[in-house]
Amino acid sequence: MTRILGVDIGGTFTDFVSYDAETGSIETWKNLTTPSEPIEGVLEGLRRIADLGEIGKIRLGTTIATNALLTRKGAKIAYVTTEGFRDVLFIQRANRRSHYDIGWIKPRPLVSRADCHEIPERLSAKGETVTPLDEAAVRALAERIRADGTIEAVAVCTLFSYIDPRHEARIRDILAEELPGLPVSTSYEVLPKWKEYERASTTVADAYLKPVVSDNLRRMKARLDALGVGARVGVIKSNGGEATLDGAAESPVQMTLSGPTGAVVATRALSEITGIRRLVTFDMGGTSTDCSTVVDGAEHVTTDFEIEWGVPIQIPMIDIHTIGAGGGSIAWIDKGGMLRMGPQSAGADPGPACCGLGGTEATVTDANVVLGRIDPANFLGGAMALDAEAAARAVAAVAGPLGMEPDAAALAMVQIANNNMLGALRAVLLQRGLDPRDFTLLASGGAGPVHLADLMEIAGIPAGLVPNHPGQFSAFGFIMTDGRVDRHRTVQQISKFFDAARATEAMTELSRGAAAELLAQGYSDRIAIHRSIEARYLGQNHELELSYPSDAFDEASVADLWARFHVEHEARFGFSIPGETIETVNLKAVAVAVSKKPALPLLPEAAGPAAPRGRRRVRFEEGWIDTPVHDRAALRAGHVLTGPAVIEEDASVTLLKPGQTLSVDRFGHLHVKS
Amino acid sequence: MDFVTMNILESTMVSICREMGITLMKTSYSTIFNEALDFTCGLADLNGDMIAVADYCPAQIGGMPLLVKSCLKEIPASELEDGDVILHNDPYRGGLHTPEHTFFKPIFVSGELVGYAVAIGHIAEVGGMAPGGFCGEATEIFQEGLRVPPVKIKKRGEDNIEVWKLLLANVRTPRVNYGDLRALIAAVDLGEKGMRGVYEKYGLETVRRNVSDLLLYSERRMRAEIEALPDGIYPFSDIIESDGIDAERHYPIEVEVHVRGGEIVVDYTGSAPQAAGPINATLGVATSAAYNAVLHMTDASIPRNSGCFRPIRVVAPPGTIVNVDFPAPSVGGNTETHPRLVGAILGAMAPVAPDRVMAAEGATHCNFVFGGVDAETQEFFACYDLEGVGWGGRSFADGNDGVDSINGNCRITPVEVYETRFPWRIESLAFNVDSGGAGAHRGGLGYTKQMLCLNDVIVCSQMTDRHLFAPWGLAGGGEGGCGATLVQNAGRDDWRTMPEVYGKASTSRYSNVAIKRGDRVRLVTPGGGGYGDPAERSPEAVARDVREGYVSAAAAQRHYGYDEGGK
Repeated sequence: MTRILGVDIGGTFTDFVSYDAETGSIETWKNLTTPSEPIEGVLEGLRRIADLGEIGKIRLGTTIATNALLTRKGAKIAYVTTEGFRDVLFIQRANRRSHYDIGWIKPRPLVSRADCHEIPERLSAKGETVTPLDEAAVRALAERIRADGTIEAVAVCTLFSYIDPRHEARIRDILAEELPGLPVSTSYEVLPKWKEYERASTTVADAYLKPVVSDNLRRMKARLDALGVGARVGVIKSNGGEATLDGAAESPVQMTLSGPTGAVVATRALSEITGIRRLVTFDMGGTSTDCSTVVDGAEHVTTDFEIEWGVPIQIPMIDIHTIGAGGGSIAWIDKGGMLRMGPQSAGADPGPACCGLGGTEATVTDANVVLGRIDPANFLGGAMALDAEAAARAVAAVAGPLGMEPDAAALAMVQIANNNMLGALRAVLLQRGLDPRDFTLLASGGAGPVHLADLMEIAGIPAGLVPNHPGQFSAFGFIMTDGRVDRHRTVQQISKFFDAARATEAMTELSRGAAAELLAQGYSDRIAIHRSIEARYLGQNHELELSYPSDAFDEASVADLWARFHVEHEARFGFSIPGETIETVNLKAVAVAVSKKPALPLLPEAAGPAAPRGRRRVRFEEGWIDTPVHDRAALRAGHVLTGPAVIEEDASVTLLKPGQTLSVDRFGHLHVKS
Repeated sequence: MDFVTMNILESTMVSICREMGITLMKTSYSTIFNEALDFTCGLADLNGDMIAVADYCPAQIGGMPLLVKSCLKEIPASELEDGDVILHNDPYRGGLHTPEHTFFKPIFVSGELVGYAVAIGHIAEVGGMAPGGFCGEATEIFQEGLRVPPVKIKKRGEDNIEVWKLLLANVRTPRVNYGDLRALIAAVDLGEKGMRGVYEKYGLETVRRNVSDLLLYSERRMRAEIEALPDGIYPFSDIIESDGIDAERHYPIEVEVHVRGGEIVVDYTGSAPQAAGPINATLGVATSAAYNAVLHMTDASIPRNSGCFRPIRVVAPPGTIVNVDFPAPSVGGNTETHPRLVGAILGAMAPVAPDRVMAAEGATHCNFVFGGVDAETQEFFACYDLEGVGWGGRSFADGNDGVDSINGNCRITPVEVYETRFPWRIESLAFNVDSGGAGAHRGGLGYTKQMLCLNDVIVCSQMTDRHLFAPWGLAGGGEGGCGATLVQNAGRDDWRTMPEVYGKASTSRYSNVAIKRGDRVRLVTPGGGGYGDPAERSPEAVARDVREGYVSAAAAQRHYGYDEGGK
């Protein structure tokens, strides 16, 4: 029972990382995913392990919830709300996706308007009863749902339930009595925060996912139980924590973003191991690139996720900014003659021209081949030979109309793609008030390390890091995952009339609830609680988050909170308003069961300078340079390389520009410095 | 042109604008800023030409170039110093209407002035005769709030206290205004800092050359778009129902769109003489409307800057509702007349560009504004609030239901935020069934918001339209539903209009009505017109509309021959 297995079920490949605590060894492998039944790909990969009894834990990153949302293949659900407000889901916020777009079609919610129902009941903005709940109306509705016979789950969201959930809870209980077995999601349980549209949309997503996800997880559990490992399986949640299979089925909206969180969790672990306090991730795949940050050992959590523009899911998730730019992004020339890259992507099918799978349009990968940055003979460790001539033809077709030499056009393609990805880095750094100059850029995904050097330069990030197994980095993160539960609630108060007892009661409930959920999932020891408060100047509508040390609020701790708010506002926005009334909005508690982290294997010390495997011509801004090519497997701890250089490994290539240096640490991580 | 550097500079400048907007959204106080996002952030070059802008409020985007240029006529560049911030809101000096406050900050690089960071935001309370800045019965600019000519609110990095004192002494909610003004300053500070970084990184000459090329590039692409339209003269007319003062008069809008050789001239000649009430548009607003309409009909990927506007010209005779003379009122010109002008231009182009236009949208922001003293906190509150309307049907799709009018892109305020902030209880928020004009592609639905007053008195004003004249259809499509504003006084059962209850001249424009505790207000927003012959609508779409409650069975029977039992 000494093995921990991380499994990332992606769209094309299922990645496996196995860590054996006894020997300290790490193994990685991958096989194709079976999109119709993802568990098949997992079982196939498990065949590599002779004795499944060795496995202490399997952690799965899954796209079941993501796919059900994106392809709109969830359940047929009913929505229940306060009388007068069923159209909140359809009116939404009344804004539109972009300006000047006559063709825009407003997004539809995940429920049909015909299945939205109103119940007489109403609380005031202070939580007083304005209209008592009409229980008979709830029973009559249950009868309609029963008669209809097609409804698979129900979402309940009433106005001001975040202040007092009594009406929602009663609706849930009556529905449970009348319609036993029908899943019900209430907004208070899913997201007890204000703003009815966002809360309703999140609750609807939870109900929409419940039948699909529970069904899938049940099937998965049955297959894994048959192998005797079902009880040892955890599922990765959007907050980067782990839930049991049963826990995940209870609250499926928590799994909206499962797989990509692994790279961030792995980054946090590397931050601890390497002592680098500020890391920004750059996980570049074929069609998209994910960016996120880890600052002082903590990932950034957001509640601003949207399934598509205008359809929010506001549960706490690791804040991963995804843009549609990757190795497969296609070059094109717009009507004014300007070269652009993407967002159209050749994806895996037909793929970049150099892959010889039918693609003819020039992609970022083709440009990298033309520039000599990717060796056509050594792609995926030689497992897939690339067609350099096809790449050259595709790039030439773009270069012609621009009147550029092919290599100059390829360089321009890479520069523009890099600039698009720079937008994602700006979104997670500058737009959050973080200074790139304090950060280390961590490159993962097959394409990340190829672009690392360029991005460091244009983003003004002075240091870079390439981890081991950059191509299976998410699955690697799963072997480092902790149990984690996030609880948020709106408890709105102002500094002038702050009721410490009310805040204490609410915070206590949140922290106990979060810890209890972890205990219920079987995590018993090393549970840590992190509390925080979101506050703002009275009148503002967006909050700053301040950490808070305990459940209890008293005069001194509250005074300290206000003082810290002014300082934080000044630091973040460049000004503060001393003496102004402060409003607290949301209280948050996060319970984390810290799992024992694997001790990573060490690399032998270098005995002499690193010897290149060979040399080839690589195109940099300065021109073509005869560049040494290193084999990553041959590098040893303490090796130092000076750019230009290329470092090749199975699933990726790291490029070092002239003037940059690279050093290898004792775990084998590559540290790049400008 | 160096397309690579230009592409990189353009996207960098747009991100700076976006970052300015995020700061504004996160730090401002009024719901019109932080929920509705009624603001715009941009960058200008030395001439005041807009060189980059982020997507926030379209009405302000078209107004930006003229705004900066007008200010620079009054405070010449030679009088600007590093750290100055200029504030301005005067509609008679290039402004849009009094609530729209423009802030701009000169950008100095090594002591040389190179351009400006600009933020324009809608400040909810501006003084004047009605709380919330939308006085439906104003007859002169002086009643529409404090007019601020270009002044330095900061000088060399220090607050200009005299200006602050004047600004805050003339509004009802100084605490909130203070927060909004600070947020606008933080935004231009950020823009200035970001742009200075760009100049330092790329060097003055490179940035100048590429920015100039970028404007040329946008111009070239805009000309190519216009060249693709058939040359010709395309007329259209619409009508504004009232100015809030004269109960009997209506105000025609006339447009003639001349398309010739890659240029567009929008000629408003023939539109009504300027009104006594506040429906007048300034030349800046009428110009911005023409830009807005053309941007809606052309490729949205053209970088947005002053270059886009070079092939577009406007003819607007002075002394009319499209080019108002001092000192007539103009607050509604920017929100109400603007979208009607855009609609008329789209209507004019419908015969030759059917896939780039829509039938009439509701074309009002509803603009229900109110204020009072909160019985509990004794603090003065004021709110500018807006609502969504139905979009017009299109040749390829139904109109969207419940969306902010095309010259804004604002969000409505959540019920839970609204009731926490203001002493109203919202009793319902529901689509107006059958308000979408019939058509092969039906118009979008308007909706109704019903509110109960929880304060002793709330003083309310409004500036809307489409209570009398319905949104028009195109290509045989039917009219959308009209809007309405109705009051039910405490203790009565009936719902009545503002003229009926308070003796106002107009149902849609009025000011300072005292709504008392227990009174209810119902805001009904207009739907959109339909597109195409209703007989061509697919039976499946008709049945779905009936099943989901967007169209009643009776209306479906009337317009589409729907038979409830049969199909």
